[in-house]
Amino acid sequence: MTQVRAEIRKLLGLPTAWAGLILGTLLSPIIVAINAPAVRRMIADGALLGDVADLGLQNLGIGLIGPIILGVVVVSSEYTSTGDDAPRARQLTATLTAMPHRMRLLAAKTAALVTVVFVQATIAAAATLGLTHALLGDLVPAWHPGRIAAAVLYWVLLALFSYSITLIARNGIVPLTLQIINSTVVSVSYLLTKLTDLANYLPDIVGPQMFLSGSQLEVHIHPVVAGLTMSAWVAALLAIGAYLFQRRDA
Amino acid sequence: MNAARAELRKLLTLPSLRRTVLLTWGATGLLAYGYASAAARGQAVTDDAALAPLLYTQAGFLVLGALAAASEYQGGGQIRATLLAMPRRLPLQAARMLTLAGVALPAAAVTAAISALVAGEPARIPAATAYLTLTTLLGSAVAVLARRAVPAVLSLFLLHFVAGPLLRSRFPGVAALLPDTAALDPSTGLPATIAWVAAAVAAATAAFHHRDA
Repeated sequence: MTQVRAEIRKLLGLPTAWAGLILGTLLSPIIVAINAPAVRRMIADGALLGDVADLGLQNLGIGLIGPIILGVVVVSSEYTSTGDDAPRARQLTATLTAMPHRMRLLAAKTAALVTVVFVQATIAAAATLGLTHALLGDLVPAWHPGRIAAAVLYWVLLALFSYSITLIARNGIVPLTLQIINSTVVSVSYLLTKLTDLANYLPDIVGPQMFLSGSQLEVHIHPVVAGLTMSAWVAALLAIGAYLFQRRDA
Repeated sequence: MNAARAELRKLLTLPSLRRTVLLTWGATGLLAYGYASAAARGQAVTDDAALAPLLYTQAGFLVLGALAAASEYQGGGQIRATLLAMPRRLPLQAARMLTLAGVALPAAAVTAAISALVAGEPARIPAATAYLTLTTLLGSAVAVLARRAVPAVLSLFLLHFVAGPLLRSRFPGVAALLPDTAALDPSTGLPATIAWVAAAVAAATAAFHHRDA
């Protein structure tokens, strides 16, 4: 418990982590507020692409940049050098001196990340859906609680996904580049779905099917299957990351 | 001249830059192939296959510029050795920008050629090369200001991949003012890219001139 508390304090002491917390929590509600008038017009004209029931939940997507950043910095901060006076010293050296058992350290880190992202996702989902309801009112049907829970779960899983890639790469730039680009512009995975149906099982395509109807995609995956596939991706990468963290020199 | 030669050798011997360029070329090739085969199956994802891969792989050039500049500030503080050898900061900064542009230009030309040739539109290569080279300089200028690679890369990505697309879709009028519009639309975007790069390089030079190293 002390270890989890220590990891949470370390995470919340990072300026880049606060960039992730603030962006991730505020971006989605801001988008909802900006888009509300246009969306209301589109529903009235019947010009809305996709499913009305996805509104709100769909806007949670842009906020995913928050968990991505959090998952990356919680690891990459350990590997950046601490200062000019001791160029080879990294925070990880101090962390391992305090907590030499690597698996216990990794469990504490994972628990800290899951806690922070869970709280962030809950706040962001409440703010986004509450605002959607307040601005669009009767135009959107009420969301099934299971879908909201699945969206929060997707945030946590995506944070763990970028966390495990960073564990493997031991550097923040590679996972940030991959994930931010793939989650913001038209996703590369979406391009791949045009080439092979197997690409529908890539994490960032299958994950949102846990809570969206996915009406733009050709292959429909049941939410439970989607959740299991996404969890399998995260579990596999996390296992590789943990194995490497256990075996490699710090 | 000596300063430029020294900076060039430093850039060419950084393994992270080589890796970034190779990954960028590979990713561009795969994306160009992906767009081409999607179009061949009658499911084209884009109207502009010559430049569409560059929308993603411009990230490689942002990273390239940021890593080149931030390498001086990594643990060990190479910048202090550099300044001991070349104490006059403005000529040093000029030499760094020139050599970085010289290194980025061929890398950009190859990337643009991969993307445009697969799509069969070689006429698009020069503008795309210019855009990618300027993007490298933008990355380097922001990293000189931030003095760390990850925050520099993160803020550039937020500008290019979050703020840019959002602002363009919401307020089409601002497209001509954003630095990344030229990635897909060089005719409207290039002046803005040049202005952003000039402003960022000027700010970086001023900061480098006045700050403690």
